[in-house]
Amino acid sequence: MTTTLLRVQAAGLAVLGVVGFLALAGGDTYGASFSNGLEPRFGIDGLTAFFLAMLGLVGAPTLAFASRYLEPGPRGRAIAVLIGLFVLMLADVLCARDPLTFLAGWELMTLIPAAMILVSRSDRDARRTVFVYVAVTHLAGAGTWVAVLLAAHAGAFGGGTVIARGSGLQIAIALTALVGMGTKAGVMPLHSWLPRAHPIAPAPVSALMSGVMIKVAVYGLIRVLVEWLGVLPLWIGVIVICLGALSAVGGVVYALFQHDLKRLLAFHSIENIGIIVLGIGACLLLRARGSDTWAAFALAAALLHTLNHAVFKSLLFLGAGSFERSAGSLEIDRLGGLLRRMPWTGGAFLVGALAIAGLPPLNGFASEWLTLQALIHVPAAGGIGDGLVGAVALAALAATAALAVLCFVKVVGLVLLGPPRTAAAAAATEAPVAMRSAVLLLAGACVVLGIAPGLLFGRLVGLAPWHAAVATNVGLHLPGTGGLPTAGFAVALLGLTAALVALRGHRVAAPAPTWTSGQLVEAQLRLTSAGFTKPLRLVLETVLRPQREIAVRTEHGVVQEVSYSGRIPQLLEERVFAPAVQFALAGARHARRLQTGRLGTYVAYLIALVLVLLTAAKTGLIG
Amino acid sequence: MSATSLASAAVQLVGGFLLAPLLPGLVQHWKARLQGRRGPTPLQPYRELRRLWDKSVVDPEGTGLVYRLAPSMAAASLAVAVLLVPVAARAPGLGVGRDVLALVGVLALARFVVAAACWDVANGFSLMGASRDLTIAVSVEATLVLAVAVAALLSGTTSLLGIVAGTAGTAVWSNPALALGAVAFALVVIAETGRQPVDNPDTHLELTMIHEGPLLEYAGRDLALLQWAAAARHWIVLVLATQVFLPHAHRVWLQLALLPLVLVVLCGALAAAETATAKMRMLLAPRLLAVGAVAALLGIASLLVQGT
Repeated sequence: MTTTLLRVQAAGLAVLGVVGFLALAGGDTYGASFSNGLEPRFGIDGLTAFFLAMLGLVGAPTLAFASRYLEPGPRGRAIAVLIGLFVLMLADVLCARDPLTFLAGWELMTLIPAAMILVSRSDRDARRTVFVYVAVTHLAGAGTWVAVLLAAHAGAFGGGTVIARGSGLQIAIALTALVGMGTKAGVMPLHSWLPRAHPIAPAPVSALMSGVMIKVAVYGLIRVLVEWLGVLPLWIGVIVICLGALSAVGGVVYALFQHDLKRLLAFHSIENIGIIVLGIGACLLLRARGSDTWAAFALAAALLHTLNHAVFKSLLFLGAGSFERSAGSLEIDRLGGLLRRMPWTGGAFLVGALAIAGLPPLNGFASEWLTLQALIHVPAAGGIGDGLVGAVALAALAATAALAVLCFVKVVGLVLLGPPRTAAAAAATEAPVAMRSAVLLLAGACVVLGIAPGLLFGRLVGLAPWHAAVATNVGLHLPGTGGLPTAGFAVALLGLTAALVALRGHRVAAPAPTWTSGQLVEAQLRLTSAGFTKPLRLVLETVLRPQREIAVRTEHGVVQEVSYSGRIPQLLEERVFAPAVQFALAGARHARRLQTGRLGTYVAYLIALVLVLLTAAKTGLIG
Repeated sequence: MSATSLASAAVQLVGGFLLAPLLPGLVQHWKARLQGRRGPTPLQPYRELRRLWDKSVVDPEGTGLVYRLAPSMAAASLAVAVLLVPVAARAPGLGVGRDVLALVGVLALARFVVAAACWDVANGFSLMGASRDLTIAVSVEATLVLAVAVAALLSGTTSLLGIVAGTAGTAVWSNPALALGAVAFALVVIAETGRQPVDNPDTHLELTMIHEGPLLEYAGRDLALLQWAAAARHWIVLVLATQVFLPHAHRVWLQLALLPLVLVVLCGALAAAETATAKMRMLLAPRLLAVGAVAALLGIASLLVQGT
């Protein structure tokens, strides 16, 4: 029952993806156009088609995976139904052409994952996490409501009316959208719900949340900031680019110190959202400087990275789900050697890791290269202040890419390579066909998008609301760059590797144990996640403020036990949000004194209010 | 295709693939001389490569495909980087484009596969080296991108052919931006080639190694490929230093003719720097590179001020 239901949904999503790609290739608009009225309207244009294609490309394999992953039974059935509803709401936000349908879809897209998490787990931790998730996304998410309703009120929902550049209305809509939709996308510093909620959901749900849901928030950001508001003032672009750089670097740095595989992946979602936001910020700055062609390239870079991240992040989450099933743990220090035991899932996971680390010839490399190019054109477009911001963001993105390499070498090494670290990891077996074919399909998408990104890029440049075009090639040949012939890169890298492997030949002596300065190779000597990242932790000590405790228990002068614990505090949460929550709670305690529960007090409040209003009316303050 | 462009492609391929091991050889040779030793001949790396090529490989127990593919893949990435970096302002396309920002990705791939191989061996010493290498790579990549951004902004393109042409002449003396970019790039050269004060190429103590650490388990042809890759790294960064950040001729023939001379001088400079400085504490290396990044940022700032 559950399996059939999910398979039907997967087939439907596959059709949706194909339709999305066809609509994107056709370049027409279908259905209604945007309206500021209240009656429900739906339609598809280029941008919607692109995101629908992404939903189909990621959603179909994810649901196929879920058909074997979710256990049959009431819980599995409930999640299977809710997943269908979730996907429907994502499509609803993308296709909505009036403010109410958009906002209704937006809210349900937030609430349904909360329901799915509570169905799959009902322990105290999960309830607390869901509370934080819903609280953060609703408090800050109010910004979305303000932005959309203000735009609809001004007749600008859909960009019908031109709002004057630099007017208060334009700035208010831009900033509220940035807060509301940025929170939903997981942009730092309003990200704290993301690394909590994504890991505890079942793997296919995490894949959809990280892969598609936060991308729908990016869709909202692009609609509002790039399309509907016209040309924004420079400083908004500067804010967007700074938020992007903060999310990119902050996300990857905190990801490095996570020990739970899914939590680590969730922090990487923040990093990649940061890279996407860097592209959007570059687009806004370039547009404000009048460099329209490169603004369109920057937007297309952000969109391409959105798709790429959707593909490899859902692949990695699904792979993590398979590892959890087979090896019984998500602690990266308790896996190991899974590439040999689960060659298909492990191989696909390796491809995903190379892609997210931005390495050639895979898709992450192409879109990170494009984003770097977009950022280097920000200083080229003139302007001292914004030029310097662009240069700093350029360095931040380069450092982010290097940090992602460090992080995913660690993940690949601890999870896939080396000897297994626990008995459960040693006994792991390959995932069932439906689960491994889903990850293999996504790995194939990583390769195809890496070899021929230009075919899509040409179309994405055309999605900019102003006129811009680039010749469609297999590779990326942009004016003012040395070009990135992605297919040539793939052929050269793989061809040379194959040639060198052939040259190396098979002259192999008998295997010998690993040399560790003459000691026996023992499990205790193996490097852990914390050990591998220690140099970086020391370098970043002043920023990260790591805490560690070493307790030594001695008896009669002989050391009996040494225990070590270390952690990297989430500084933003502990120094900013926790005090804010304490302050709000203290305020609530004071406010509670007003609520005595006695009728007389409430009557007194009413009389006082009436008196105040009367006085105000008498003195001419109101009315 | 003109004769100059053919000659430039020939120099690039022959130099990058065959003559690259001469560069570390020269540095070692002169370093020994400067330290009062006779030292090996500059041809020593070739002798080592030949010796290694004739030896068989010993795979550590329990290693798999990743360990076995890593040396070939690292060498292939460096070979692609050699194809990417032209030696003069005119050169035919070699199928991988000429973009300077693509170089960053290729170098990162080489680092990734070598570090992944260390995890496959599960040897703590190699992993310590790999972890240090990748930690320093964070600041190297940021500084490298900023340094080439200075040159790219000056030339109005990120194509290396355009950059070599756009920085020709003695711009580095007259333009503070390029001079600051050169300072940043000099630090990148030291870090990428694994020289003091960032790394000590002569050390054989596992606890202090950076670049040598990940190679500990490799032998035979695998080690030969990795040593060639290290030499190719020397070629790439030194060619970039010569044709972008140092004064170079406007005419392609002259660029090609002067290249060997300048490369030899740069090897001498590296040897002198190695002799004059001591290896700094590993954790201080990112700070040194951050100085380079700030210098390059100042360079970009000065370009922006000039532009307005």
